[in-house]
Amino acid sequence: MSVGRIRDSGKFAPSLYFQQMKYFSFFFVLAITIALAVAVSIPLGSIPPLAPLLDPNRGFWQNSISEDALAEDELVLDNLSAPVSVVYDQNLIPHIFAENDADLYRAQGYVTAQHRLWQMDFQTLAAAGRISEIVGPVALDLDRITRRKGLAFGAELGLKYLQENDPETLVLVEAYADGVNQYINQMDAASMPVEYKILNYKPEAWSAYKSLLLLKYMSDMLVGDRDLEYSNLRKILGQEMLDKLFPEFPTKVDPVIEVGKVWDFQPLPVVKPDSVNYPTDELVIDPLPQPAEGAGSNNWAVSGSKTKNGNPILANDPHLGLNLPSLWYSMQLTTPEHSAKGATLPGALGIISGFNQNIAWGVTNATKDARDWYKITFQDDSRKAYKYGNEWKTSTFRIEEIKVKGEDTYLDTVVYTHYGPVVYDRTFGANRQDVNFALRWTVHMGSNEQKTFMQLNKAKNHADYNEALNYYVAPAQNFVFASKSGDVAMRIQGKFPLKWKGQGKYFMDGSDPRMEWQGFIPNEQNASTLNPQRGFVSSANQHPTDSTYPYYVFDNSYEHYRNRRLNGKLTEMTGITVEDMKDLQFDDYYTLATEALPILMKLVGDSTVTDPKAKQYLEELKSWDFYADPNQKAPTLFFIWWNETHQNIWKSWKDFGAPVVTPNNYRTIELLLSEPDGAIFDLKSTASIETARDHVKSGFNQMVEKMKIWEDSEGDYSWANYKKTTIQHLVPQFSSFSVKNVYTGGGSGILNATSGRNGASWRMVVELGNEMTAFGIYPGGQSGNPGSKFYDNFIPIWANGDYLNFNLRTPDQEEGVLFKTTLKD
Amino acid sequence: MRFIFLVIMTVILVVFLNPVLPFWVIMILIGALAGLIGLKGAESFLAGGLGMGLAWLGQSLYISVSTGSPLPNRMGELMGLGSGMTLAGITAVLGFLLGGFSAMTGSLLRNLLMRKPDNLYRG
Repeated sequence: MSVGRIRDSGKFAPSLYFQQMKYFSFFFVLAITIALAVAVSIPLGSIPPLAPLLDPNRGFWQNSISEDALAEDELVLDNLSAPVSVVYDQNLIPHIFAENDADLYRAQGYVTAQHRLWQMDFQTLAAAGRISEIVGPVALDLDRITRRKGLAFGAELGLKYLQENDPETLVLVEAYADGVNQYINQMDAASMPVEYKILNYKPEAWSAYKSLLLLKYMSDMLVGDRDLEYSNLRKILGQEMLDKLFPEFPTKVDPVIEVGKVWDFQPLPVVKPDSVNYPTDELVIDPLPQPAEGAGSNNWAVSGSKTKNGNPILANDPHLGLNLPSLWYSMQLTTPEHSAKGATLPGALGIISGFNQNIAWGVTNATKDARDWYKITFQDDSRKAYKYGNEWKTSTFRIEEIKVKGEDTYLDTVVYTHYGPVVYDRTFGANRQDVNFALRWTVHMGSNEQKTFMQLNKAKNHADYNEALNYYVAPAQNFVFASKSGDVAMRIQGKFPLKWKGQGKYFMDGSDPRMEWQGFIPNEQNASTLNPQRGFVSSANQHPTDSTYPYYVFDNSYEHYRNRRLNGKLTEMTGITVEDMKDLQFDDYYTLATEALPILMKLVGDSTVTDPKAKQYLEELKSWDFYADPNQKAPTLFFIWWNETHQNIWKSWKDFGAPVVTPNNYRTIELLLSEPDGAIFDLKSTASIETARDHVKSGFNQMVEKMKIWEDSEGDYSWANYKKTTIQHLVPQFSSFSVKNVYTGGGSGILNATSGRNGASWRMVVELGNEMTAFGIYPGGQSGNPGSKFYDNFIPIWANGDYLNFNLRTPDQEEGVLFKTTLKD
Repeated sequence: MRFIFLVIMTVILVVFLNPVLPFWVIMILIGALAGLIGLKGAESFLAGGLGMGLAWLGQSLYISVSTGSPLPNRMGELMGLGSGMTLAGITAVLGFLLGGFSAMTGSLLRNLLMRKPDNLYRG
C-alpha cells in the first residue's frame, strides 16, 4: 500500500531510500508469493499438496465428471493392425471388437486402464511388497511378509517360463501392457485417478511381469495353511486327541466330485517313510495372515435333463473381500474367432469367469494344503549352507530393497533354500534365534495360468476346456463347465504334490530328504467328473472327493454347510429355470442354525430363563424360519449365542501360549450332540466339572448381555443392521469412498455368503441354449473413480439379488448403447 | 476500468490456460498480466485475487452442480472439512491468495522497472 504512495509522490526527487523501499517491497511480496506457492505444492504432514488437489481444472474436482461425459468417438492406440471398436452399454460395460488377439488384448489393457488404472497399479504394488513407498513405515511389516513369502520371486519365474516355453502368450501379455502404458502416457492431469492426487504419487509403467504378479497375488489371497497351528496342537493334545477333534473325513462329507465316482486310473505310488520325526520345537511364531474367513465361492452347472428348457445352466459366485474399486471388471472380448463375456481381473488378460458362444465356465477356490514348511538347520551363523541328508547344501541370498516414504530404504535379506524362501528366521516372526523355516509352495514354480484363461475364452467344447486347464498351477480352483452341446463338468485343477498320508499337515524336518514332496499328481488324475448321473456338478469349497480318491488330500478350512444346502437343493429341483438359479445364489437359508439351534435350545431349557428380555429373545428364536434375511432379528441372536458358546467351549486353548486353531463349527456340534457330558467340555482350570450345558448357558447369558448393550446403543438388531455389510475402498482410511451398511441378507456358511466384509464378489448365471442367455452383477461399478456415477451403481442391484443382462452383443446392435469409441493407430 | 480489466483478464487466463498448465505457471502469467496492466500494488492484489478466486469458485461450483457427483462431499469428509461446499469455499480462498499475491508481485516488478520513466517525465 505504501509502495503506491511513494510512487505517486514522485514530484519530490527520489531518494535512494525510496529506491531501496521499492526493491524491498518487491522482493518481500515475491518471497511471500513463492512461499505460498511452495507451501501449497508440498505435502504438510498428512495433508496432501493443496493446490494441485483443489485446482478445479486439474485437481479432484475434475474427477467428478463421469465417463460418459468424457466420451470420445476416436482415440489413438498405436501398434494396432486394424481399428478396434469399443461399444459401452448403459452400465459402462465395454464390448471390444478387434480383428485379432494382439489387437484385442492391447485394447483390453487400454480400456481397463481408462477405468481402473489406480487399482491395477496399487494391487501390484501390494503384491510386490511396495506399499511402504506410498504410505511410509506403517506398511513395512506387511511389505516384508509379502516379500518373504516370495510372490515377486514366483512372478519372475513365471515370466522366465513364458520367455522359454510360450513366447506366443508373452507377446499377448506384452500387448496388454503396451495398451495400459499408452493410456498412462496419453492421460492428462485432470483425468489422473483421484487416489494419486490425494496420495501424491504418479502411476508407474505396466509390464508383462505385473500381470503375472497379479495372478500370484490372487494365490496369496486364496491360499492359507495351518501347519504351524497343527504342529502345536499335535504337541499339546497328542495325535489321538487331534484326530478326534479334527477328523480329516468327518461323517456326512458331501464332496465336490460326487460320492461313488470310480477312479479309473492307476495312481502313482507314494512311499511313506517308515519313521517320521517331526521337529519338536515350541512353535511360538507369529502365524502368517490367513485368507479371511468367509472367502470361498459357489459354482454349479445343471444338465439339460433337470432344466425347464432342456439347456444346461451354469452359475458362479466367487466370495472374496468386498472392496471398491471392485476386484472384478466386466467386459465382452470379441474377435472374428470368438466372443467371450463375463468378469475380468484388471491387470490380467481375458475373461476369468464367464462364457462364450459355445461354453461357460466359473471358478471356486479348491482349498488344499498347498503350502508346506521345512525346518532348516544351517551349518553356521552365516547361513550359507544347510543340512540335507549327509551333506550341506548351499543356500542363496535375495536382498529385498524396500523403499520407505520419508525414510531410508530398508534392506531385508531373505535366505532361499531348494525348498523355497526361509520366511521365519531370526529377523522375522520367530522368537528364537535358532528357528528357521522354509516355505515350499507351488506359487514358486514357473507356470502359465494366463494361458488357461485365454484358451478358455476360445474353448468350444469339453476337450478344449480340459486342454486349457492343463496349464493351470495355482491357486487351485474348482473349474465348473457347461457347453451348448449339453455337457456339464467339474475339474479340480492345480499342481498338487504327491503326499503320503499326513504329509505337510505339520512342520517337517528339512534336513531329512525323505520329507520331500515325491512329485505331483498328473493332470489327468486330478479329481474331475463329466455328466454325472445326478444331473449336476457343484462346488462350494468343501472336500474335493470322498475318502476313496487314491491321493492324500487335506485342508483345515473345508466347508460343511453351503455344500450340503446346495447339493440338497439341486438334487430335489427339476424343471429348473435361470430365475431358480438366481434365487439359489441369493439363498439365505442358515444351515448351521438349523443344526445348532435345536441343541442350544434343548441344553439351555427355557424353564430356567426368567429375565423378560431373555424370554423375548428365546421366543424370537423359536419362531424363526432359519432364513438370514436382512430384516430378521433371530439370525443376530443365534449368531452371537453360537459364537459365544463356541468360544466358551474352547476358551482354555487360549492358555496354551502358542498359536492354535480350534475345532470347527461342524465338529463342535457333533460333539455337543454325541457327548454333551464328555470330558472334552470340562475346563481343567476350574474345580467344578463343566458340561456342554454350562457353556451353552453362559453363552446364552453373554448373548443377552451383549444384546442389551446393542439395543441401548444401536436400537435395531435386525440382521442387516447387525452385520453391517461394508464394501470398503482399497485404502481403508478413505472411508468416505466406501459404501457402508448395505441392506442385504446372508452370511458366512450361507449360499448367499455375504457377511460384514466378505461375500459374493461376482454373481453370474448362464443358460446355454441356441443363444446364450446370461446375467451378471457385482457389488461395485465399472468405474474405479469415486466421483463417477458408475462407481457404485451396481451395489443396490446386487444387494437386492437382481442382475444385469449379460447377453453377448454384436457391434452394430444399437439399443442400450451409452457411447462408442474407435481405437485407431 | 483497469481494475475490472485485470479481473476479467485473470478469469479468462484461468479458464482457458489452467486446464493445460499447472497452477504455478498460471501464477507467473497473472503476475505478468498485472505488470502489463499496471495497477497499484493493493489494487492488483485485489483484482488478481478476485479474478482467480472467482474463477476457481465458479469452476468448482459449475462442476459440482453440472455433474451432481458425490465426490466433493466425499472429499470434504475425507479431509475432515465437512461438505463439498466448504471445499469450494476453500478452493476459492486459495485461488484468491494465489491470484492476489501473483498480481501484486507483478505490479511491484513493473514499479521497479518503470523507475526511470517516472523520474524523467514526472519530476
